Amino acid sequence: MENNLDKLIIDDTEYVTEVPEHSRKPYEGVPDPSEIKAFIPGIIVEIKVSEGDSIETGTVLLLLDAMKMHNEVCSGKNGIIGKIHVSAGDSVQKNQLLINLIIPE
Amino acid sequence: MSIMKSVNDFLMRLSSKLKGGGDKAIEKQKKKGKNTARERIEDLLLDEDSFLEIDLFVEHSVKDFGMDRKELAGDGVITGYGKVHSRPVAVFAQDFTVAGGSLGRAHSKKIVKVMDGAAQAGIPLIGINDSGGARIQEGVESLCGYGEIFYRNTKLSGVVPQISVILGPCAGGAVYSPALTDFVFVVDRISNMFITGPQVIKTVLGEDITQEELGGALTHATITGNAHFYTKSETEAFNTLKKLLSFLPANSNENPPVRSSIPPDQPLGDDVIPDNRSQAYCVKDIIRGIVDASDFLEVHEHFAANMVVGFARLAGRPIGIIANQPRVLAGVLDVDASDKAARFIRFCDCFNIPLLTLVDTPGYLPGADQEHAGVIRHGAKILYAYSEASVPKMTVIMRKAYGGAYIAMCSRHLGATFVASWPCGEIAVMGPEGAANIIFRKEIAAAENPEEYRQKMISEYEDKFANPYVAANKGYVDTIIRASMTRESLIKVLSRTGQSRKGHPHGNIPL
Repeated sequence: MENNLDKLIIDDTEYVTEVPEHSRKPYEGVPDPSEIKAFIPGIIVEIKVSEGDSIETGTVLLLLDAMKMHNEVCSGKNGIIGKIHVSAGDSVQKNQLLINLIIPE
Repeated sequence: MSIMKSVNDFLMRLSSKLKGGGDKAIEKQKKKGKNTARERIEDLLLDEDSFLEIDLFVEHSVKDFGMDRKELAGDGVITGYGKVHSRPVAVFAQDFTVAGGSLGRAHSKKIVKVMDGAAQAGIPLIGINDSGGARIQEGVESLCGYGEIFYRNTKLSGVVPQISVILGPCAGGAVYSPALTDFVFVVDRISNMFITGPQVIKTVLGEDITQEELGGALTHATITGNAHFYTKSETEAFNTLKKLLSFLPANSNENPPVRSSIPPDQPLGDDVIPDNRSQAYCVKDIIRGIVDASDFLEVHEHFAANMVVGFARLAGRPIGIIANQPRVLAGVLDVDASDKAARFIRFCDCFNIPLLTLVDTPGYLPGADQEHAGVIRHGAKILYAYSEASVPKMTVIMRKAYGGAYIAMCSRHLGATFVASWPCGEIAVMGPEGAANIIFRKEIAAAENPEEYRQKMISEYEDKFANPYVAANKGYVDTIIRASMTRESLIKVLSRTGQSRKGHPHGNIPL
């Protein structure tokens, strides 16, 4: 029983206790706006931009077919399209990287 | 028709109806390791020969899709009244052998009738779910059926206890009836609950997941918290259900059933918890040392294990226990533990069951994960539930009662009836280490030997605040008792609290 005990620090006090797996998950941080990822698994219908294009916040970058809808994937920032990792017809997983955006300083 | 002819005719009709979906379908049900709906009601749940079935002869009136040629015994659900340990209950069991237990209009009307019957009689409602879902041939009529059941689940909430036993599939909208009830039982490898099945998830999202992983019994007992009781067999599920009922009144106007008092097998000694405040121990050992016959029926055993809740008796009277579990996550409060405790507290308050809160918690679980999961919103539910509750509320501070968690765990400030602390209780804003580091930050940094100075300040703070006397001086703690005197003191408190207030204070909304 004692061998699965772990340490948990709360207000500088160290407690010897069980820490279940799902409580160990490290914080993933705020999403990086320069990485456009699939918010849902689906199929790429159409890519509306090309590498090197200057785009603005809200520009539709591509259409993603999921849940019987053509979902618009938009840019969250002004910038220039870097690498495009997918093409029309590709199946993509959730959180798969689709497009890199170059965001000016 | 002569009398005897009509009797014979009746017996023939009866025997055909009682067969449900027929021998082949029954054999299939058995092969899955499942009992039939009728066995579940008559053999596993109810007292022998106590079942009075109603609506066995109800038939559907659907004409589309060839349904007019289909005779469905009882329209796929068995309903009626019976007794559990001589106390009346209303019951329905979906019959998977009849059209997959699918829910059509007539099926739902039968359930609705027995729900209304439970309300009228003021008796618990037990639902046994084993159904493929909506009867698609009936279209919107089937959806109407679900809606009318949900409506009654809500109206009955906090009026009579409602218990669901999931003994087969329960998918799509069907899941919301159990989710609205007070307690959900699941059985390993038999129960399945989900909104969207694995097949649809695979087609739409490309995600591969098994039925067990997605919505099996263990998933709901450990991850989602949808299930309150997880058992290995149908028999075990019904035995646990009967035990649960033994703690509950028939309705919110009654008091829970009292039995004779039996002392615990192993009464508490004064040194039941470890000397070191950061050392773990199992709070269930403490509970068993306080309650009648050391008998504790735990609810949500596998979900948010850092908080322990369940039923027991004290001097024969049922009580609901809420306890921090130092063994898991040091007994912190977090999102899941808050939801778990709050719903349990509100259930007890609905049904006149006094509360006993055992406190040993270092506070809320820190971290971005918890903050973003809404620990403020969820944590508030405990404060609300305790403050709202008008049943007797007894609190015992065993050791750490720090900060916001001290307030939340049924402190005097939230209207506790009685607050006791063991001599090793520590009621403070935080633990000595954290407090000393903040209060003496400058002094520690400037000290010649910072670590030595820090330790000195920690022990100074410890001497001053890590005890129950500061709170007792202010009257926030009513009394300080040795651990060995806990049971005796609580029985005294309980004996001076009167019987229940009558009426329907509130429902038991899913939290």
